[in-house]
Amino acid sequence: MFTRREVGNLILGAGALSMVGSLPKANAADRPSLNIAVDNLWANMATINGISTTSRRIFPNFYDNLVDRDYIKDENGLIFAPKLATKWEQKGNIWTFTLREGVKFHDGTEMTAEDAVFTLSPERLWGAKPFEPRGKTFTAGFKRVEATGKYTFEIETERPDPNMPSKLTGYIGFVVPKKYYMEVGVDAFGQKPIGTGPYKVTTFRSGEIMVLDAFDDYWGGPPPVKQISWKIVPEFAARMAGLVSKEFDFIVNIPTDQEAALEKYQGVTLKRVLADNYPALAFNTRPDPEDNPLVDPNLRYAMVQAIDMNAIVQALFNGTTEHPAVPFNFKEYGKFYDPNLPVKLPYDVAAAKALVAKTKYKGEKLLWHITRQFYPNYEAAAEIMVEQWREIGVNVEAQILDNFELVYRRPYHMMNMSMSSDFIPGDPYQPLWLDWGPTASRSTATWKTWDPSPEFIALGKKFDATTDFEERKKAYLALSEEWQRITPGYYLWKSVYNCAHRAGIEFKFKPNGEMRIYGDYFKFV
Amino acid sequence: MTRFWVLKILRTVLTLWFVVTFVFVVLRTSGDPVVALVGADATPEEVEQFRQLWRLDDPLWIQYFRYVVQMATGQFGISYRDGREVIDIIAERVPWTLILGLFSYIGAILIGVPAGIIAAIKRGSTFDNLIMATAVFGFALPNFFLGILMILLFSLSLQWLPSSGTGTVLHLIMPAITLATFTAGTLARFTRSAMLEVLDKLYIRAAAAKGVGYWKRIIFHALPNASIPLVTIIGLNLGELIGGAIVVETVFAWPGVGRLLVTAVSSRDLAVVQGLVLIMAVTMVLANLVVDLLYGLLDPRIRVQN
Repeated sequence: MFTRREVGNLILGAGALSMVGSLPKANAADRPSLNIAVDNLWANMATINGISTTSRRIFPNFYDNLVDRDYIKDENGLIFAPKLATKWEQKGNIWTFTLREGVKFHDGTEMTAEDAVFTLSPERLWGAKPFEPRGKTFTAGFKRVEATGKYTFEIETERPDPNMPSKLTGYIGFVVPKKYYMEVGVDAFGQKPIGTGPYKVTTFRSGEIMVLDAFDDYWGGPPPVKQISWKIVPEFAARMAGLVSKEFDFIVNIPTDQEAALEKYQGVTLKRVLADNYPALAFNTRPDPEDNPLVDPNLRYAMVQAIDMNAIVQALFNGTTEHPAVPFNFKEYGKFYDPNLPVKLPYDVAAAKALVAKTKYKGEKLLWHITRQFYPNYEAAAEIMVEQWREIGVNVEAQILDNFELVYRRPYHMMNMSMSSDFIPGDPYQPLWLDWGPTASRSTATWKTWDPSPEFIALGKKFDATTDFEERKKAYLALSEEWQRITPGYYLWKSVYNCAHRAGIEFKFKPNGEMRIYGDYFKFV
Repeated sequence: MTRFWVLKILRTVLTLWFVVTFVFVVLRTSGDPVVALVGADATPEEVEQFRQLWRLDDPLWIQYFRYVVQMATGQFGISYRDGREVIDIIAERVPWTLILGLFSYIGAILIGVPAGIIAAIKRGSTFDNLIMATAVFGFALPNFFLGILMILLFSLSLQWLPSSGTGTVLHLIMPAITLATFTAGTLARFTRSAMLEVLDKLYIRAAAAKGVGYWKRIIFHALPNASIPLVTIIGLNLGELIGGAIVVETVFAWPGVGRLLVTAVSSRDLAVVQGLVLIMAVTMVLANLVVDLLYGLLDPRIRVQN
């Protein structure tokens, strides 16, 4: 979240950060190719239907955002840079964006305001029956999107929204070509996507491989790599052997306990980055099943106080990440972050036992649904937590299930989930309000785990409507306090993404796992 | 003879109908495919839209009827996962599985059968013990374990062979050996016991008494008579060739049918799973049919009975 003045400063600073200048003018004929071994590829590469960690890794290589987050100048990416939009300004409820001229899609057509408008249109994201319905989550408050010239367009919102440029740094900001998209339809588009990025998709077989070729008509100049092959290699030993023997230039998703072994090989560089994402457990706070003991908040408090999460994180991640002691008080939120915020439910076994004694809980078995191997180290942490709960007399059975469909099947008392924090860079809007608010899936889906309290909704609406920083921070703290009073969940740790590459490469890994193979993010040395 | 074939065909059709029905029931009762396909964070609206698009909101009996008609007419439908024709998706994977399967299978026969023969004719010797110990080791060693060991040795440490994928003959070596080890071990054990059974028969002694040479007796008198159980085992394993390499294909990132099945099952891509299972069932049924025919060729008594 930024004040209007800060947004203005960002805009002014943005001119100097133009991506054009940062891209090397590679010698197109001599460029090497890259082989990247990945654990998985998402089935669909449409910008919204394809949202996943595995597609986010690749997206910025073939899609461009309207607005970019500059991780070179600021490791948290809180500096915005122009990308497809070169200028933006706000007047009341209306934002006006000016597009870069001469930008081509991979099919050779020119990108214009018509494409940008379609990208953000109700038809595609937020209307009655949009092509990519999840877009509604990211376009709350949109009222009108309209072209005002060949290279300018406006977005009108229900009330002044100072975060619009921030929102366009995310998935909804990836511009798609209207004509091609409409011709082939959303599903086919997801299989043969076209963007304006430095590489174009030439092959995509979702269970096997994605190949990107250099797009030499890229507005920022030819990219540094001739061809990038993202190959699925499910077995880690094969990925590791392939990197060491130089079959692969990069590998991703290295198990934490294998990092040290991998780093010992000569010529291998391991990269770790803390992600804008937090695995969590959600307590089922509803009387479903009828006799659910977790409807009593004291039992939930007790369970939180029984966990020594710092020790667990240290043991499992060897100090490479940390547990957020106060929920939503995340470092990436800049001025919202307060290291001195009091911890309401610290690790305290005696206090936890006393809280259990206050409840009517009599040792009934609580079912914890966990998706197999979905979040790194989650199952291992669960084993330890189950033992720590046993110490205070709480009987939890961790059920490891094959997929989310099974996780969502009632009855359960707890389930795994995760929350991202980067929809609005520098602002706790997403994890606190978007993800827990009354329209969030965990409040509305058949598997919902809580009903937001009237106080939470009222405080959330106030937070959502506030634009002044000091007021917004107050509103955020009040909303966070109400969440903690209910404690419908528990954040475990900040996710860690990792990858490794061979010698001869200089690479900047981004916090949301993006692997940008261009500009100042990637160089052959 | 006509009755024999009519019965065979009826049994085949019944088997296939049972398989397709079983697959339909299991896939529908083991979970909603939509959640697996659209992702954990999909909105209820997105889930509903997907369900309507793929007509998964129709009553089950209508879905079943449509599915049986499609299968009967050879239309495998469209993949929910990537919108392509299932038959195209399977067709591009089958050659890879066949290459891997045939190489490993031929290798397994060339090693397993002679090893079993040698073990039988050297019964009780060190040779026999060594061969049988190796066969049991190969038979008992899990595929994934052997595969990973080979990757660590030949790709990571020695850097002689590529760790995964396809492209050259070198890529084929480790997956083929991993897959062949189990089959070779099985064949060696079966060949040994089948040979031991016939080596004591009177006709072998009669051949010896007539002055037939030792190796001639083994190859032309004993082996054909020991081949009925061997053909059964080879036939059954051949039927599994299409889907049997699941683990090996996953470990070595080999783009065959086995890996496709894993991906399709984990993402609940019903159309692809159904198509694959049907193809595997047809392969098994055809392999059994070929085995039945071979029985007749190998043993005139069976031919006469039929």
